[in-house]
Amino acid sequence: MHSISINNSLPEIFVGREDNNSQVWLSDITFEKGINYLISAESGTGKSSLCNYIFGTRKDYTGNILFDDLNINNLTIRQWCEIRKKSISYLPQDLRLFNELTALENILLKNKLTGFKTEKEITDYFEILGIPEKINSQVALLSIGQQQRVAIIRTLCQPCDFFLLDEPVSHLDRRNNQIISELLTNEAKKQGAGIISTSVGNHIFINVDKELKL
Amino acid sequence: MLGFAIANLIGLTIVVLAIQFYSDVRPIFNDEDSFIRKDYLVITQQISGIGSLLGNKAEFTIDDIDDLKEQSWVRKVGKFSTSEYGIYASVGLGNGGRELHTQFFFESLPDDFIDVESSDWRFDPMHPVIPVIVSKDYLSLYNFGFAAAQGMPQISEAMIGMIPITFTLSGNGLSETFPGKIVGFSNRLNTIIVPEEFMKWSNYRYSIQENTNPSRLIVEVNNPGDTKIKEYIDRNEYEIAGDKLDSSKANYFLTVIISIVIAIGIIISVLSFFVLMLSIYLLLQKNTDKLQNLLLLGYSPRQVSTPYIKMIAFINIAIFAGAIAITLIARWQYMPMLKAFDIEPASTLTAIITALLLMSAISIGNSIAIYHKVKSLWIKK
Repeated sequence: MHSISINNSLPEIFVGREDNNSQVWLSDITFEKGINYLISAESGTGKSSLCNYIFGTRKDYTGNILFDDLNINNLTIRQWCEIRKKSISYLPQDLRLFNELTALENILLKNKLTGFKTEKEITDYFEILGIPEKINSQVALLSIGQQQRVAIIRTLCQPCDFFLLDEPVSHLDRRNNQIISELLTNEAKKQGAGIISTSVGNHIFINVDKELKL
Repeated sequence: MLGFAIANLIGLTIVVLAIQFYSDVRPIFNDEDSFIRKDYLVITQQISGIGSLLGNKAEFTIDDIDDLKEQSWVRKVGKFSTSEYGIYASVGLGNGGRELHTQFFFESLPDDFIDVESSDWRFDPMHPVIPVIVSKDYLSLYNFGFAAAQGMPQISEAMIGMIPITFTLSGNGLSETFPGKIVGFSNRLNTIIVPEEFMKWSNYRYSIQENTNPSRLIVEVNNPGDTKIKEYIDRNEYEIAGDKLDSSKANYFLTVIISIVIAIGIIISVLSFFVLMLSIYLLLQKNTDKLQNLLLLGYSPRQVSTPYIKMIAFINIAIFAGAIAITLIARWQYMPMLKAFDIEPASTLTAIITALLLMSAISIGNSIAIYHKVKSLWIKK
């Protein structure tokens, strides 16, 4: 997948609103592979909706979203599964971790499917992100910031053309933000992938090629 | 989930046990597969008082017989022929010189319908001995009624062949005496039977009448429980001799009752199927978030539903095994009671195959429902 295009789209719930100052909604924009985007937004402007549309979990929008030239509404479930394993690595805002599993089990659940990282690489990530002692802790017992780091490690455990990050550093301090930005930038560079990150204020410290206001 | 398992176990066990019991018990009432015990009905015309006084004979015309032969429940029809001359039988009983003398009659019917096999069952005019088959009821009547009251010796079936019996046949200006021999006793035929070839020979020799229509018919039927038989008999104002229809009625009610029991079993199974569906839906509903998380990670609906389908398969296989086990245990309990009827145990194959089909249908239904439910979680509501 080389590009994600959003053509004249708008969440159905916004239809009829007059004050559209968005650079995304009702515009034609294309996210290119290998380029980093920051979508800055105020709360309630449809940031998570946009991520859900792109990841195929919601369809309540007008207009079209295309992967390359393919309308995503025409994708089969099988194709979506492949995309979720190989093309788009998604970090949801609500993290979507399994609370009753340990941090490592959560990550292996993804890595078993993709076989992308070795167990050594995964434990190294825990080390780098400063939570090596939490590797076998139940996720429910971790702080929200720690959970966010676990979810980011999981995001790194698959090949992709785009990282789709919904407020990736909302619960992290500057130091961890720095570390994560470096990890993601390196990983994206290695794979030639693009990064699409949203933010309501606490921006991720990646080199943003293009900033869009939602 | 446990509720489902128990409900379905009960439902399936009822179905399997009912089918098995029916297969085991059916031969007692109705042995249609057996060549030894077939089902026969003896049909006569109803005798109405006025008709017989006016000289109308209660007999079957050729049209009546042809019509009967065309009925779907009829396999074979045999005509009874009656002796049309005078017969006088004499039985000598031992040294005392006591003798029994009586008027007598003969009937004959095709050999296919006779339930006694004997090498003496033939007639040769050159060396005339008349073989006779009598109803077993007559022997009982003699042994337990007449002999006991009159101080006569009781006789067994084996002894009967040794009793000297003579028949004097008269008619057409002739009167001749032949030795006779009782060659067997019939459970099926409540009359005195001689071979058909003898009947033809003797009627030709002693009777001046032409061949007459038979007044009794014997019919081999597919299933005496068939309600069409009763309708046909009533419509044509015939009568059925003996209690064959009583056992047919019993058989008929057995069929009805077993059908009801099987229906109840199936209803319980179907209800339990919905109970299971409900519990699966609740389980899936409870785990909606987790299942959606798995789908977000890239697991396919098939992969996500597999553990649930495996669980269902496991439960259903256990239920199947349980139902078969309970049925076999129950059968082992009731079979000794059926031993008295001297029947062969029926195969358990029908019951097992039915159980297998029912469980497969339920499992497939469950699996499809689970898969669709998981698939429906694909789009967030």
